[in-house]
Amino acid sequence: MAVFDINKYRQMFLEEAEDIFEIIDNILLEAEDAGDMDNETINSLFRSVHTLKGNSASVELSKFAALAHELEFFMDKLRNGKLAFEESMASLLIDGVDTLKHILELELSDELEHDYFMTTKEELLYKLDNFSQDIKEIELLNEEPSAQESKVIEAEKEVLVREIVEVPAFGMLFPRESNAYGPMNGGIIDLDEDEGFGFFDELVLVDDDGFGFFDELELDDVEFDEGFGFFDEPELVDDEGFGFFDEPELVDEDGFGFFDEPSKIEDKKVQAPLREAKKEIDVKDNEAKDSKKFKADSASNSIRVDLSKIDALMNNIGELVIAHSMLTQYTFMMQDQKIKSELSERLDLLDRYIRELQESVMGVRMIPMETVFSKFPKVIRDTAKKLNKKIDFRHYGDSVEIDKAMIEGLTDPLTHIVRNAMDHGIESIDRRKKAGKSETGTLIMSAEQANGQMIIKIQDDGGGINLAKVTEKAIQNGILEEAQAAQMSKDDKAMLIFAPGLSTAEAVTDISGRGVGMDVVMSNIKKLGGVVKVETEEGMGSTFTIVLPLTLAILDGLNIRVGKEQFILPLSAIIETLKPEEDMIKQIGDEESEVLMLRNEFIPVIRLHTTFNIIPQNHKLSDGLLIVVRSGAKKIALFVDEFMNQQQFVIKPLDKNFRNAQGIGGATVRGDGTIGLIIDTMNITQNSTRRAS
Amino acid sequence: MPKILIVDDSNMLRDMVKYALNEGGYPDVTEAVDGVDGLAKAKATVFDLIVSDINMPNMNGFELIAELRKMPTYAKTPILTLTTEKNDDMKAKGKEVGATGWIVKPFVPEQLLKAVGIVLSR
Repeated sequence: MAVFDINKYRQMFLEEAEDIFEIIDNILLEAEDAGDMDNETINSLFRSVHTLKGNSASVELSKFAALAHELEFFMDKLRNGKLAFEESMASLLIDGVDTLKHILELELSDELEHDYFMTTKEELLYKLDNFSQDIKEIELLNEEPSAQESKVIEAEKEVLVREIVEVPAFGMLFPRESNAYGPMNGGIIDLDEDEGFGFFDELVLVDDDGFGFFDELELDDVEFDEGFGFFDEPELVDDEGFGFFDEPELVDEDGFGFFDEPSKIEDKKVQAPLREAKKEIDVKDNEAKDSKKFKADSASNSIRVDLSKIDALMNNIGELVIAHSMLTQYTFMMQDQKIKSELSERLDLLDRYIRELQESVMGVRMIPMETVFSKFPKVIRDTAKKLNKKIDFRHYGDSVEIDKAMIEGLTDPLTHIVRNAMDHGIESIDRRKKAGKSETGTLIMSAEQANGQMIIKIQDDGGGINLAKVTEKAIQNGILEEAQAAQMSKDDKAMLIFAPGLSTAEAVTDISGRGVGMDVVMSNIKKLGGVVKVETEEGMGSTFTIVLPLTLAILDGLNIRVGKEQFILPLSAIIETLKPEEDMIKQIGDEESEVLMLRNEFIPVIRLHTTFNIIPQNHKLSDGLLIVVRSGAKKIALFVDEFMNQQQFVIKPLDKNFRNAQGIGGATVRGDGTIGLIIDTMNITQNSTRRAS
Repeated sequence: MPKILIVDDSNMLRDMVKYALNEGGYPDVTEAVDGVDGLAKAKATVFDLIVSDINMPNMNGFELIAELRKMPTYAKTPILTLTTEKNDDMKAKGKEVGATGWIVKPFVPEQLLKAVGIVLSR
């Protein structure tokens, strides 16, 4: 008999839960900001939590489900208008959702102690109940005197019952006592807790593993064990005793053994208004349409595909590119000019189709930056709260697309930079006031695509990096010589924060830690083939700029020759190429450093033959060629002997042993089957400046 | 071989239902991620049974069922709803839009197969 692989489904649940949590967090954060929540939003919220509850129960996360149920119950009251939204609720619910996440973590790792869970749940219930009580009092005041009196009694009764029921933490009493709740809440509790969902609670109590209730029910009651029913064919009911029925109403009266049976036994009048209310909600539900408005568009007409499948596809295209270039190579050897040119023509066509195919597959991998940004409001809120700072978070470029494969590697460094900016960058409220700034600090994240690169900026209007202090610390730690420090530019000094073990924060906090991190940020970004730089202005704030390649898979490159060696230079890095005149070259400093003077701009020249230790064809710069390339924020001019052809290359990572090869970012297989090395323009700068110094 | 369509926005639940059906001897299972997707797929292929979630974005299960019942092809096709709630409103609404029955989440494979077996054998 089929049995669910619970671990597999738990993993799937976890992935979906993360998305849902993000949606919930963002809804609540918006509500917290706005101090209000409209009906549609409340409905979305309710349904998100409802989905969490239902799905978690399906993967036997019974405690999580029980807790989700409590939040759902509360939200149900909100959407039914039994509770009015208050500003402070958002904050409470955010905490509640955090608790939920925490419990999920514990339950998944099997570390959730029963007592701890009960305490946590009681605390949450206590907080939630505070709101319920408040509202009741308000409602009571609006009632007519006589009605009020009886309601007070009901309310008191309820408090009492709640105490009995909840303090012993969901004893078996709970469902039985519910009819004492009084008209206000009785109905809901009956419907939601006693019936459809009641078993979650019962399970938690009765049976710690939380599952197998179907079996239990099977033993108890044949009708219950089906867990399904049909809307028609009453005769089946008789035959099989399954509990099918024609009309729900009839069944109500018959008191068939359905899940909702106990509620039927109760006073029908109690339920009537509730049913009306619920019907209204249904209408609202229909209007509201979806519970995941942030992702609604992508959900329709879409499928989820494992990223590895797309990677495999991309790899195949890579092989296709290589095969194509092998074929192109082969045409060079052909003698018959007519055939050669005709073949070339068709190969060009093939080349176009391969490019289109590649672009389509790349398109599949691309997702909007919104997906990345949407993780931050919650992080920022929590951090701001901990630090007691006020922060206004803005993001731009939500629709800019990024390779899905990069997101995973990008989230951690971004989070680190953001936390760091909040902790060390943006000043405390007092300090900001003293500096004549507004109390609220601003944090801006933006994304844009330019020159075939992805540029992400994180900008704060805080105090900026204390360069003197950073430099001092770097000297102390032996990262830097004092003499070196004296010659360093402001930007270079700022870059010191990426050195390992450098933290200048006076108080080490649990937000951004002890200076382990910024170096990790740098290495994580480098792993993605990108660079980070930082610009800072004391008193004004700092800007972190992350530049990433658009794709990790295929690049357009220019073949260049130095002596007898050939290299590949990414086209995206090239700004211009030129044959320099003698008067354009200036010698500076120790006469070993050369710069190219191009339209009033000084660009450092790097002789590739020196870097790679090759015997060049030309020694004089004016005899060879210069390629001006982008190297992070700077420009450099690479000295080469010849430009060759331009073509697509499939990037293959270097083997671990060669990772440290300075100036080489990757390798590729050329058309003739030989290996080509791809120049990393970012690294080559660092390499040669180090040599020069 | 009956063709079955599963409509659920949860990747996990779709997979669970599909797995249970496949294991239970129903290999021909198609998945749809919401009501809109489900409706499009139901128009493209004629299914013998539809199992649909209720709470979904874009078009919920009730809306989907109502739409399906308007089509002559699906006037009599069994449609089971997957639901966490089985209260009166769910039942009234389910009946109103023309659903055949409901399966309660969480479910075990045998339960699902039993319900599916019954509707398909009618």
